[in-house]
Amino acid sequence: MIENDRPMEDRIRDYLAERLGAAGLVLTSLERIAVGWSHETWLFDGDWTEGGALRNQGFCLRRDPGNALLREMSDLGVQYRVLQCLEPTPVPSPRPFFYEDDVSILGAPFIVMEKVPGTCPSPWRREGRRFYAEAADRGVLPASFTDALVALHSLDWEAAGLDFLGVPEPGDGFVRGEIAKWRGLIEATEHAIDPILVDLLCWLEANAPATERLVLVHGAYRTGNFLIHEDRVSAVLDWETEVIGDPMYDVAYVLSELNREGTDLLSNLVERDEFFRRYEAGTGIEIDEDLCRYYQLMYAMRSAAFWMSASDLFATGANSDLRLARTAWSIPVVLDRAARDLGY
Amino acid sequence: MEADELLERMARSLRHQIGPVVGEPFAKTQAFMASVVLEKVAGQLRCAADHRQADEVDRLALASDVEAAAGSNVSAVVSDAISALRLGEEGLSSLVETLYAKRDELGSDLFEQLLGRVRETLRARLDRQLEYSA
Repeated sequence: MIENDRPMEDRIRDYLAERLGAAGLVLTSLERIAVGWSHETWLFDGDWTEGGALRNQGFCLRRDPGNALLREMSDLGVQYRVLQCLEPTPVPSPRPFFYEDDVSILGAPFIVMEKVPGTCPSPWRREGRRFYAEAADRGVLPASFTDALVALHSLDWEAAGLDFLGVPEPGDGFVRGEIAKWRGLIEATEHAIDPILVDLLCWLEANAPATERLVLVHGAYRTGNFLIHEDRVSAVLDWETEVIGDPMYDVAYVLSELNREGTDLLSNLVERDEFFRRYEAGTGIEIDEDLCRYYQLMYAMRSAAFWMSASDLFATGANSDLRLARTAWSIPVVLDRAARDLGY
Repeated sequence: MEADELLERMARSLRHQIGPVVGEPFAKTQAFMASVVLEKVAGQLRCAADHRQADEVDRLALASDVEAAAGSNVSAVVSDAISALRLGEEGLSSLVETLYAKRDELGSDLFEQLLGRVRETLRARLDRQLEYSA
């Protein structure tokens, strides 16, 4: 990342003033929000005059800090193209405005998109879990959660132009591609690969299922990865692991115990039978629980890869955030789950 | 004072004395996380010698058991992977990879028998790691 002494607010304002042709642009309420471990995120409002009329727009800017998690598989340029493709579709997503890979502007590549109204309570915090428990009782958000996934899996991704993400080979091409992608992340770390993870990777490869139907898969569809406004999903976020693949890959993530804490509600929010009923009715796709069990082992492998990559960022000095150092001890915990699922 | 005790004391200071008076939220989180990391390292250090010894005893017992179970009818590749178990921890991963790679040659029953025995050792090793990780 290229350092620059000028305040971030001034640099963002100058850039947007030029792009919008708004010399008198004023930014207000600029804040950097602490979400996730991937990209830096700023929220702000812009006021300017255009053709004599006052304009106002809320913006969200995400910048690649160059030392973030999953950086190898979350190119901002790709995210921008995905958001462009999703804009005219029913999938709730933020409208993208600009993508810049010119690092002289803000020191690193970034995208600018609309600031969508809503909040994103963390399901890993007590207050977040209370929020989702109360929303579950009302019943509106659980339906919206399922409907957004239905919209995603019902999307004509070829017509939307999303085939640029890569279309897997027929048969087990999707699964093998995912295993290779995450194995690459594992091998890029300086960790020795635990023999249980070797067992898991070999088992996944030996039992790779064929994919019968291809959809746009989000890859991390759960509470905490979308905005909520007026009890509904206002925008699906975190387009970092999306892929053209098996819809059961997302469904398995929804069903996973990894994504709920102290409750039987899927993703801390949705009653299981209601999710099955609404998803199957909305998509016409029958949920294959055996296949979901396979993908849940894939998520255990992904979790191990994720924690290995996270702790490696600290260990190699690329990032000094001590939360990353802590994750080294999460690896045996996810391997324990994998070992149990493999029968030992 | 042993190193693990020193680290635990530092962790307690960070958690109970330093962290609470740090005002800025990010720095406060970092102080708390530092205490968690030091506790984990202390736990790992405290167990290290015992675990290293138990890992080695288990690994050598595994080598003997899979050698006996495999007999003399396995290929040199499998035989070499079993022998490598006696050389160090890395032998565990290479044996697992070899078993999967030679699954057809071993046949389903022997493959399951050998992998099952390897998994017993991996389970015990993991349980030891969970003593300080979980």
